[in-house]
Amino acid sequence: MSSVQRLCAPSREVLLACATAAPREDVEVPARLRNQLVARLTVSLGTDRRRHRLDAFGVEHGPARFDAPFAWSARAARRTIGTGAARLVAAGVASHPHSAAACEIERLSDRAQRGLARRGALGTWLAAAPSSVRALCATEAATWAERLLRLVEPQHADGTAAVGVADAWFEVPGSTVTLQGRLDAALFGSPGQPAGRLRIRDGLPGARAIDGLVVDAFVAALAGERTARIIGAWPDAGLCLVVDVDDEAQRHAARLLVSCADALAASSAVLAPVPVAA
Amino acid sequence: MSPVPWHTAPLGSWSPGWPASGSVTRAQHTASVTHETLPGTDLLGALRGTPALRPSVDRGLAGGLRAWLEDGLFERRGPVGSAVVRVTPSLLRAAPATAALTARLRGVLLVQLLRLLVAGYRSEAPFEDASVALGASGRDDELVTVLYELDADERSRLVAEVGAHYAVLVATLPSLPARWSPRCGVRSAISLAGGTVVLSGEVDLALGAAGGSRACVCLVDLTTSALGSSTETTLAYLALLETLRTGEQPFRVAAMSTADATTLVRDVTPELLSDAVNLVLDAIPRSAAA
Repeated sequence: MSSVQRLCAPSREVLLACATAAPREDVEVPARLRNQLVARLTVSLGTDRRRHRLDAFGVEHGPARFDAPFAWSARAARRTIGTGAARLVAAGVASHPHSAAACEIERLSDRAQRGLARRGALGTWLAAAPSSVRALCATEAATWAERLLRLVEPQHADGTAAVGVADAWFEVPGSTVTLQGRLDAALFGSPGQPAGRLRIRDGLPGARAIDGLVVDAFVAALAGERTARIIGAWPDAGLCLVVDVDDEAQRHAARLLVSCADALAASSAVLAPVPVAA
Repeated sequence: MSPVPWHTAPLGSWSPGWPASGSVTRAQHTASVTHETLPGTDLLGALRGTPALRPSVDRGLAGGLRAWLEDGLFERRGPVGSAVVRVTPSLLRAAPATAALTARLRGVLLVQLLRLLVAGYRSEAPFEDASVALGASGRDDELVTVLYELDADERSRLVAEVGAHYAVLVATLPSLPARWSPRCGVRSAISLAGGTVVLSGEVDLALGAAGGSRACVCLVDLTTSALGSSTETTLAYLALLETLRTGEQPFRVAAMSTADATTLVRDVTPELLSDAVNLVLDAIPRSAAA
């Protein structure tokens, strides 16, 4: 397995140093590996015409992990709104996460009211929600944004971090499979260098946390995001795991995704519809 | 704050001036919820203190506390087993309290109202707003079910109770400036002894941004019960969790009771944190027995 570092309550400086230390240059996914992965995923789920999303969470916990259909809640919405709020704060548009979260909720609701959001989208839910629910969402999102900004805000100020980056998505050509890599920030040693990607999760890292991390990094690489290293942050636990994304890690991630697809096909589990952010 | 015309049933338990021993409600009973005026408790002022006098952050403290805990756990438990022991604030009490379901529901509803207050939302109908917020929170599904299944009498009592507690909450925390970075429901789950011991807890409200040279984070534990002997224990434990989680000791910890509008504020000192370590180590045999 690739090099893994475990950091307890690291300072921002330590985190940045770990994310950007001695970056490798050859971080693209080899064409052969990409083609093999596409072929295997197409075989695994090719006959199933339902839309499937594979992600790190599915890899860690198995495909049939939800026993109820997806529904928006303050908890489900906090990352989407909180990431947007963190982006506004980092860009200097808002001075505090709370005002930024309120702005983000307003923006999402406004889009829905103008008919720009799809049915089932977060904006649609927010637009129809009472003001107390929107206030709750603002608090939850601001708490999330504070957590993210605490890790990377100063780095953003000096241009060595991008806060609130979009998740990585990779559509497997010729199939109904979408790969999602969850990302919250990107850290750069210097312009043009392959980045360290940061991902935040609740609670404690599970037994397969490293598997999840390499999958997120691999999907980012498939989507064209140059990723030399991935950092998983568990702020509740005060823990960070730093994993080098080398060839071996990429092959491991590909195997994990194929196993997950096989398990999904075997269980015929129905995944929840892909949530739409706005 | 203007007097709030809020009462149900007999006013016998009410007395002007909110004596420290007084209570908004009787234990596990909500019929005699009364209040008229609230004391001008300046909790935020007490937490803020004098910024120039705040202690410096001790970067080595968290590592030392963690090592002490690891050593102590090994002495008490020996080589790690497979069973995971989860330490919570209630486990640290000599006699762990078991709150009635309606009392838990009341507490959870007040926490929702605190979250709305942090967002600048002043509720005109606290129970209704808190219920809607709880239903949309995505958490505490069991309590949401209990809430929907309350009969008319229980519901009416809870409406009165939540209203009274909310009035105390608003009086004690009238406004929370955004520059204090208020955060709600900050959870901690610290893994020790190879993952076989997990120290967990949740802070209802955290204020102040970490990362500076001086300790400036304040933690507030909100309770709808009266403060008791276990309050100090809970505060010390929450301070320990925050120190282990962030690597920086908080500045102050506070408990706030909406039952009788009392607050307890403690400076976070190395002594307080070492007391918390001892409390955790003492609780381990109890948790094993449980």
